[in-house]
Amino acid sequence: MKKSAFSMSPRRIPRIGIGGPVGCGKTMLIEQVVPLLSLDGYKVGIISNDVISKEDAERMRKNLATEKGLMSEDLVIGVATGGCPHTAIREDPSMNISIVEEMESKHDYLDLIFIESGGDNITTTFSPALADYFIYIIDVSAGDKYPRKRGLGIETCDLLVINKIDLAPHVGASLKVMERDAKRIRGDKPFIFVNSRTGKGTKEVASYIIKDVLFESPPWTSNKK
Amino acid sequence: MNMDNEISLEDLSFLQLSDSFFPTGLYTTSNGLEALFYEGKLKKPKHLQDLIKTFLFQQIGPTDCTALGNVYDCINSSDLAEILRTDQMIYSMKLIEEVREASVRSGIQLLRCVNSFVLGNAILEHYQRLVKNGEASGVYPVSFAVACNSLSITKYRAGLMLLYGFTITVVAAAIRLGILQHLEGQKVIHNLKPSILSSVHSNIQKPLSSMWQFAPIIDITQIKHEQMDSKMFVT
Repeated sequence: MKKSAFSMSPRRIPRIGIGGPVGCGKTMLIEQVVPLLSLDGYKVGIISNDVISKEDAERMRKNLATEKGLMSEDLVIGVATGGCPHTAIREDPSMNISIVEEMESKHDYLDLIFIESGGDNITTTFSPALADYFIYIIDVSAGDKYPRKRGLGIETCDLLVINKIDLAPHVGASLKVMERDAKRIRGDKPFIFVNSRTGKGTKEVASYIIKDVLFESPPWTSNKK
Repeated sequence: MNMDNEISLEDLSFLQLSDSFFPTGLYTTSNGLEALFYEGKLKKPKHLQDLIKTFLFQQIGPTDCTALGNVYDCINSSDLAEILRTDQMIYSMKLIEEVREASVRSGIQLLRCVNSFVLGNAILEHYQRLVKNGEASGVYPVSFAVACNSLSITKYRAGLMLLYGFTITVVAAAIRLGILQHLEGQKVIHNLKPSILSSVHSNIQKPLSSMWQFAPIIDITQIKHEQMDSKMFVT
């Protein structure tokens, strides 16, 4: 019989929820940040909540596991959410929790687990039972009004990432307006401008993760040596 | 007949565990419905109704409902070993891997949730311990029976909840896929009430040795769904 999720290790591995609208660059952000964390010896697992296809999970598996060898292939798992991605990370995160705990049970040496989920700015937020830290990502092509449109995603996330800044001049979006509104809406909580395609700003994202989620502790496996 | 003023905490527990808001993750499953939809085989509410009837009489009824009834009987006779055997048998009867895994995941989350507010129930704690130790799977119908029993819900009512819950999961998936609209969905559920009742009565008292299932087209559809590259639901 398969080992159940109840057979988990007693250790809760820190979990980061990454939410954002379809096409905003969640997967690419993860693909940029994981190698940076890996340089410092941190080991991660990834759970991708995809409404429709396994494409994102398979892409990350290929890029991060098969080609770069940064993790084993079974550390990238795709989850179908029955057309309810918001429900799957908030009011009923049972399936995600179950999969996270299976990952914790099988790979108790991990430092972090990323949980990626599509979701709009109005309703997206992660249950604290599922994620310890919440990154919400938007991109400039949806217009510079996005931060001031507020919503749970933009207001409650621990770190707001504004992606695809290279496109701003082409879509008539002002980064100054976005910066002003993000500061006004979020107060002291951080936000970062990023270009995931070139990697600009992604080191800062990794730094926030190391500081605010891992509390600058060394990789788990180095503690065990 | 009950008097109109006879209401109880058990009634509320019955409602609580029947509610689709209760967090078990079942809304992520379509039981293969999505594959039938993309094959163009499900176009009308009647098709959906017939499909769910097949589930109730040929698959979920004679397996999950019978397992649930047996767990109740085991609890009444304090036969804890038989609960474990029921768990193992119903687990092995779930032929499709993704269906089996979803059933286990939902069952374990259900147990965990109920265990967070039901304290000191020996059977609940015993079964959860078996699951934690890897001796039992935690498969949904067994977890559901243990959870319902811990809230003093009677066997037949638990059987109704199990099959009703299954029915609304499939209907809700159909509505999200656009196979039918919300009013038609409620009509399908209403039309299926006699079938739910009948399946509970037919299956809940049967011994474990008479569990059976025969729905080969559903099995094949679920295998196809499991292998689809692009899908919204767990099989």
